[in-house]
Amino acid sequence: MLKCRDLVEHTDALLAGELSRRQRWAVRLHLLVCHHCRRYVRQFRDLLRSIPRMHGKAEDAEVDQVMQRVREARDD
Amino acid sequence: MDEQNEQIAALQSGSETAFRELVRDNHHALMAVAVSLVGHSDAEEMVQLGWIKAHRHIGAFEGRASLRTWLTRIVINECKMWLRKSRREQSISQPLEGDSPLGDRFKPDGHWQIPPSRWHYDSPDGLLMGRELADCLTRILDSMPGQQRALLELRDAGGMAFDEICNELSLSASNARVLLHRARARLFKLVDHYQETGEC
Repeated sequence: MLKCRDLVEHTDALLAGELSRRQRWAVRLHLLVCHHCRRYVRQFRDLLRSIPRMHGKAEDAEVDQVMQRVREARDD
Repeated sequence: MDEQNEQIAALQSGSETAFRELVRDNHHALMAVAVSLVGHSDAEEMVQLGWIKAHRHIGAFEGRASLRTWLTRIVINECKMWLRKSRREQSISQPLEGDSPLGDRFKPDGHWQIPPSRWHYDSPDGLLMGRELADCLTRILDSMPGQQRALLELRDAGGMAFDEICNELSLSASNARVLLHRARARLFKLVDHYQETGEC
């Protein structure tokens, strides 16, 4: 039977759909009996969903600075 | 016409407003990619050169990848050219060292010693966007080895294909998987601690 540490190591592959049928079965069995790992997988999946937005948007001053250099390069 | 097609049409017609929005939405993410490859001191110049190239070549963008991925490729190329010129290419490649960042959360028998805390958030979109968390996030990203951070930025923040990342960073798939897992685990540990204590 999988240990919690193994489950954590398998979670990336689980969410990427890269586990074999046998590994998937072992993971499901473990999740059935371990609420800590169910929470880990749920929160880990949500964390991955949040990463694309983690850097936020640029401020006006930063956009202005980029556009200034773009205009200078275009006019060269 | 979907949202990205409308945006591409506006960009290719030369709309400055559309280009400003493109910069606003992607500048920080591109900076993060460049920092992971060339470090803080040169990242801004790499991204700026990337924006100049993107502006020059937006007419040739065919929409086969997302705009974020296309921009990321441009910035990676700028960084690689700069590394080649300054003969620092080896700085991209670092040995795999250390244990999993969550290794200390388990008992010797492999079960949780310190299980994950229950996180409180309305939607996954906002999980990493809290103002208070921003400083902690910057600190943890800056403390990651370059390749680890590059994997996280390119795969999870930029949505670039895994094979393409391995190719760009000259990494084997197995090493890349370990690095990505470690980067994600460090982020998980940060958020878990922050959710429990309100501190980094």
